[in-house]
Amino acid sequence: MPFLTQRVQAETDQYCFVASLDNVRNFSTILKAIHFRDHATCFTTKNGIKVTVENAKCVQANAFIQAEVFQEFLVQEETVVFRVNLTVLLDCLSIFGSNPMPGTLTALRMCYQGYGHPLMLFLEEGGVVTVCKINTQEPEETLDFGFGNANVTSKIILLSEGLREAFSELDMTSEVLQITISPDKPYFRLSTFGNAGSSHLDYPKDCDLMETFQCNQTQVNRYKLSLLKPSTKALVLSCKVSIRTDDRGFLSLQYLIKNEDGHTCFVDYYCSPDEDVPAAESPV
Amino acid sequence: MLKCGMSGNQVKVFGKAIQALSRVSEELWLDPEEKGLVLRAVNSSSSAYGYVLFSSVFFEHYQWSTSKKMNDSGRSFCLNCKLGMKSILPIFRGLNSFERNVEMCKIFTSSDTCKVVIRFFCRHGITKTYNVCFQESQPVKIDFKKNMCCNTLMIQPRLLAETMVLFPSNQEEVTLSVSPLNLCLKSSRGGSKDMTNSVYSEMFIGPDEFDFFQVGLDTEITFCSKELKGVLIFSEATHAPVSIHFNFPGKPVAVSIVDMLLEANFILSTLGDDPSGACSPQALCLFSAGKKSDGRQSDSQAGRRGAPQAPESISRKAVPKRLCPRDTPTKDLVVEDHGQLQPKKANLDDICKVCKSRVGDTDKEPNSFSLGKFSSIFFGAVSSEPQKHHPQPLENLAMASDSEED
Repeated sequence: MPFLTQRVQAETDQYCFVASLDNVRNFSTILKAIHFRDHATCFTTKNGIKVTVENAKCVQANAFIQAEVFQEFLVQEETVVFRVNLTVLLDCLSIFGSNPMPGTLTALRMCYQGYGHPLMLFLEEGGVVTVCKINTQEPEETLDFGFGNANVTSKIILLSEGLREAFSELDMTSEVLQITISPDKPYFRLSTFGNAGSSHLDYPKDCDLMETFQCNQTQVNRYKLSLLKPSTKALVLSCKVSIRTDDRGFLSLQYLIKNEDGHTCFVDYYCSPDEDVPAAESPV
Repeated sequence: MLKCGMSGNQVKVFGKAIQALSRVSEELWLDPEEKGLVLRAVNSSSSAYGYVLFSSVFFEHYQWSTSKKMNDSGRSFCLNCKLGMKSILPIFRGLNSFERNVEMCKIFTSSDTCKVVIRFFCRHGITKTYNVCFQESQPVKIDFKKNMCCNTLMIQPRLLAETMVLFPSNQEEVTLSVSPLNLCLKSSRGGSKDMTNSVYSEMFIGPDEFDFFQVGLDTEITFCSKELKGVLIFSEATHAPVSIHFNFPGKPVAVSIVDMLLEANFILSTLGDDPSGACSPQALCLFSAGKKSDGRQSDSQAGRRGAPQAPESISRKAVPKRLCPRDTPTKDLVVEDHGQLQPKKANLDDICKVCKSRVGDTDKEPNSFSLGKFSSIFFGAVSSEPQKHHPQPLENLAMASDSEED
């Protein structure tokens, strides 16, 4: 997009963050996977951009898009942080429509001057340019779930196709999703307790969709289903998912997503367990 | 205790039956018997009844065992399992993928836990288990001698489905008009003369399109299309033709699918002939949902007190209900019905019998019991039905004593 580049070249110095992308969908698709609240905090470093969304101080979703995904990626300072309305951002990114004609690409250039300035988006498709200015807000502190490798009690890596159907069919009348991970049967179990009764989905540890199964001790944890359900979007986009729990019962879901150019991006979800002590249901 | 297993293909058929029955009612009875598993549904106005019998050979394995104690008392045991469609329909969702994904489905239950366990053994070793709570409720049964109907038609379901698709989707009732020359499916004109539905459709199907076409009586019947569409959903899963059995307006129509392994019957009431005459819709309204309205029920109730399938259960000849469910008949009207019906009952071809009994009903009415008993004996005297004195389990009806209907 020579027209835009000429105009903006002289102004590049005043921006502390500039990123260009030939195909905006490599960015917008990943953001949709974490879009369950209106606001998101963006952290940019020279390695890439991380967008964080939180809910109820219990769940956090992060989308990581590495610098290599972008055609141009410049960050003037150590880190540049700003908070934007994610709904508005996604609306702007898909301003040319979410289903483009095959063969057409929408190009994106994002620029940010710094604290107090709006986030500038330049989108171009077929010679038509749209300029969006999105106001930024005071960045809020994001939760640190303290999920270190040291206290991970179990780790499972599954091919996403095994979980997709299960997650989309979860009984939403259940308040919780109970996750059981055990070195003995049932190995890995997802349970819901809804109005009609309970349902259990069991994955054996030698399941051919299971790439990794590591578990030292049996753990049964419950999480609010309404908080985890949005992760289905990330699951649908991903090819693999890693499920980890730590000794406090905190859950980490990491999704490996390949974008249209074949680059790898990550989305992760962290969730704290439900406060109420789970009553164990007798296995059937 | 029920224990049965199905392959992925079989569970697809099973799931389609549940989908079809969901067009009849929001509730489903799981009624295992020696000969197989019966799924039953009756709508709230008792104007549509569906049951699908999966014979024991349909399943990979089928076991229905009652406890010895119950067998000794001479009564056959009912599971009394009623499930909400909302609970069970989502389990049988996405049936088209079942053939590919589901290797085996096992269903087991026992009455002491009040839970039905449905377990799917899927590809990749994945197991899905559903523990569905059920309500204790006696199933409603029906006895309809479809073989005694004067009009019997058998047609490939695809043809019927293609015809039904041509009607507007909001068409609630259809009229089926038959003569030896052809069958005509048309939009129902309806009792109300409102002209809001300005599209009138008429489709003729010639006798050569039918696998079997026997018309003993030129007639025209009107019934709800919703349940018929339900049957057509089920027909997609089987390869058997659909047969339609009926007599004249006011008598029920049976839409059936029968093959070697299963039998599905949807019995629908039809609109009476003349709104002002003896066959008025209100007069035909016999299976009310309310407890107090049907005095006739108490005879069989008394006969069956505590025993859903006692030998004394007498099948009454009852004309099926009108289509408009809203008015529940009062007791007085029911007594009138007796008077109106008796002349009709002299017609020995009247084969539609439905019995209901209410077990454990608090309305013990000895007076109406004697009245009912009298009329039953009368019917017994004029009926040509031999099995009146040798009732088979299907003749007995048990009406759920649903406390929620109070």
